[in-house]
Amino acid sequence: MAILKVEGVTKVYKDLKALDNVSFEFDTGILSFLGPSGCGKTTLLRSIAGLEIPDAGAISIADKVQTSIEGGVLIPPYSREIGFVFQNYALWPHMTVFKNVAFSLNLRKLPADQIRRRVLACLDLVGLGGREERYPSQLSGGQQQRVALARSIVLEPRLILLDEPLSNLDAKLREEMRVELKKLIKKVGISALYVTHDQEEAFVISDKVIVMNAGKILQYDTPDELYSHPSDPFVASFIGHSTLVEGKVIKAVGGECVVQIPEFGNATLICAAPKLQISSGPCSVVIKNGDLRLSHENFAADTINVLEGTMVSREYRGGLTDHRVQIGAKEVVVTSHRLCPMISVDGESGKVFLCIEKSAISLIPQRASL
Amino acid sequence: MTWKANRLALRQGSLFPLCASTVAGIVIITPVLVIMWRSFTSGKMGFTVDLNVTNYLRVFADKDIWPMLNNSLVYAGGSALLGTGLGGLLAWIVARTNTPGKGLVELMPLYPLLMPPIMKNIAWILLLAPKSGILNGMLEQFLGITYPVFNAFSMAGMIWTFGIACVPLGYLFLLPVFLSFDPSLEESAYIAGSRPVHTMLKITFPLALPAFISAFVLNFLRALRSFETPVLQGTPGNIKVFVSRVYDSMALEFNTGLATAYSVVLVILSIITLYFYVRATRFSERYATITGKGYRVRVIDIGPWKYVTFAAVCLYFLAGIAIPFVVLIVVSIIPYFDYETFMTFPSHMGLNNYRTVLRHASFLNGLRNSVLLSVVIAVVTVFVGIVMAFTIHRTRAVGTKIFEFIGTLPLAFPPLVLSVGLVIIFVGTPLYNSLWALGLGLFVAYFPYAFRNASGAIVNIHKELDEAAWVHGARWRHVFFKVTLPILKPAVGGALFYIFIEAIRNVDVAVLLTAPGLEYGPVTLFEYFRVGQWAEAAAGGVIYLIILIVAVSVAKFAFKMKFSL
Repeated sequence: MAILKVEGVTKVYKDLKALDNVSFEFDTGILSFLGPSGCGKTTLLRSIAGLEIPDAGAISIADKVQTSIEGGVLIPPYSREIGFVFQNYALWPHMTVFKNVAFSLNLRKLPADQIRRRVLACLDLVGLGGREERYPSQLSGGQQQRVALARSIVLEPRLILLDEPLSNLDAKLREEMRVELKKLIKKVGISALYVTHDQEEAFVISDKVIVMNAGKILQYDTPDELYSHPSDPFVASFIGHSTLVEGKVIKAVGGECVVQIPEFGNATLICAAPKLQISSGPCSVVIKNGDLRLSHENFAADTINVLEGTMVSREYRGGLTDHRVQIGAKEVVVTSHRLCPMISVDGESGKVFLCIEKSAISLIPQRASL
Repeated sequence: MTWKANRLALRQGSLFPLCASTVAGIVIITPVLVIMWRSFTSGKMGFTVDLNVTNYLRVFADKDIWPMLNNSLVYAGGSALLGTGLGGLLAWIVARTNTPGKGLVELMPLYPLLMPPIMKNIAWILLLAPKSGILNGMLEQFLGITYPVFNAFSMAGMIWTFGIACVPLGYLFLLPVFLSFDPSLEESAYIAGSRPVHTMLKITFPLALPAFISAFVLNFLRALRSFETPVLQGTPGNIKVFVSRVYDSMALEFNTGLATAYSVVLVILSIITLYFYVRATRFSERYATITGKGYRVRVIDIGPWKYVTFAAVCLYFLAGIAIPFVVLIVVSIIPYFDYETFMTFPSHMGLNNYRTVLRHASFLNGLRNSVLLSVVIAVVTVFVGIVMAFTIHRTRAVGTKIFEFIGTLPLAFPPLVLSVGLVIIFVGTPLYNSLWALGLGLFVAYFPYAFRNASGAIVNIHKELDEAAWVHGARWRHVFFKVTLPILKPAVGGALFYIFIEAIRNVDVAVLLTAPGLEYGPVTLFEYFRVGQWAEAAAGGVIYLIILIVAVSVAKFAFKMKFSL
């Protein structure tokens, strides 16, 4: 059973296509919508909640049709039985924490003692036991966040929707909360849709990620697949930690192929490309910054994919260090661990050798339409 | 949205708010349409009517039309300039100078709430009337000047009375500008070599200009719509403006066609003014000297000039607040009003006038009606205003933007004009001369204030708060009563209070809708004054003053309400 099914959902604002024929299915777990601001991820989430009415398409939750413009079905948000965590938490300032969480239970006219029990259990779960008589304004950002989460799960819905829930917290708290959030959602055992523009957050939290841009789904995969095999240059650049260059496949044999890269002074690279369908033609080459080796001395003679370049600069980031190396016309970033040997910028006229492992490269064939 | 999506959206609740707003919209727009229609027809009402422009021909053939236009503009422009200029000066004195005794001015925002507009006119007429006026009498007695120097029934007298009433608005518009002015704007001028006076003239005042223009235009509009000053001071001195002409056409001739034609001219003037007001506020947004940061403004030591500004503050306090107050109270407790009796105060003091007034059925009836109606009207307008704002900003019904226009429309219509429309609608029906017609008139006149207030407040409530209720199982009525309304509570309190205060002292809506047996307190005072029962009018006015003082105190201390007009 698919918990969520989206078919051909389209939404146009004046002249902007916010959602362009979006379709996907999702079973269980945590699914993130990842993309830059304005890519349509929030519109998609709000359409699933019923807060936004698409111009076309259908949405069903747990095999029950919620929105179907063609079929004339539009279940109002209050009957969809979902939870929703808003970006600004949207806690009602005139209600105590208890009343905020009890709101949906009260509307269903449950007995008072049952409401009390469920609300308190839920507040305990999110670590806010004993704070039920406070008002939202008396809580810190992180605590408000937990109240919003408690409010969304108190009815035990099958699906909760979270719209950039951590974006209002400071960086350190954000990192703590995302781990805790994941733990909580898994503990409650409900499925979640999670909107974020932060790829690290999406990777940490979700089982699967949908990367969106300009109202379209670019890739729908597990975080690991997205990172190691981006299927679109936009995905690769959005996820980051990589250098993107244009190349040309000149030979492909048995899961390996050779690409020529004009920007590297027409140097050729050998790479593993088990999924590559083409044997020649233009493609985008994604080089992972973290999977590179850099040295002042040349590598052993039988090492493949060795390029020569000059050091441009070095940025110290604590545990990691970024080295900027000029290769041909292109600047390549090499991220190395603190324990790797330091490469100085000004040693021996800045000349360095760069070794690109086969696994550090992934290829994206250029689409015919583009 | 495509039409298919649209139809689905409409089916989702929002029916009740939409219906309620539509009914309110019809109630509001009807008098307006009736005025328009009536201005283009002639013939006795209730009989056959012809569609023609006779009324306009008569209006524009009136040889007084140009002097009248001139009078209206001079009166409105003069009082707006006097009020805004003085208000701005006082704001600057309070915010930026080390003038002693500037606390006297800080009371000012409360003052317009306490003093009904008609009482200001009465007080100034008592002071400045050419024959019996207190000031002219003093000049004669002490200086031997027999020629009446002051004349309340002149253009200058009108501008003075209404101009003084315009000061608080000018003050309130300009005070925040001077208070939250970014000091670095002035400091950079100092560093560039500009001296304080030069900086003030070249930097401070020009930056306050947009707020000044906004306040000026708003005061201009208020003067254009004002009723008491033109009728009580202009008409006796034969200075006609549009409002008094509309009133005369209704009250003396009962010529509704002519009254509506004059009204339409007045409405066009109002709309032009409103247009300038909208332009002026946009202009001031572009200037945006006020940011969210909390600045500590610098108080400038103006040296010996502080005695000049101190004199200005004292003068305003005396002329604007203290003297009219004192005169009213004294006149209310002397046996009757003339100069000699006034000067014998306090020897003939007594509460006779109060006893007389409180025995008049007309006064008691009017007092009861005005208290009752203003409470009801405040509650109804505020509630309907919130429903309409909710319909516009929170439901999915399409085309609700039209309510934005309808809800604001009465602002362009002087209250007297609206009541002309209601008279035309109700004359000949059982509702004519009933509390219902009176209540409806007040509802239409004050609705825009309730609506604009609710609209502004709803826009400021994050939409997510509603949506959070919505996705967590709340239907429209739950969202409205459990989330929107409770969060709006502070704004609702302010609007309720403001409309109550305005309605309880209203003259210009009620004056055409009252009748013997159906009195409205302030109108009763207006009639007393017109027939020469000045001391009774003063006593009645003081009773209203006491009611308002109690209401303001309750609001201030029991509900901790803050006042800013």
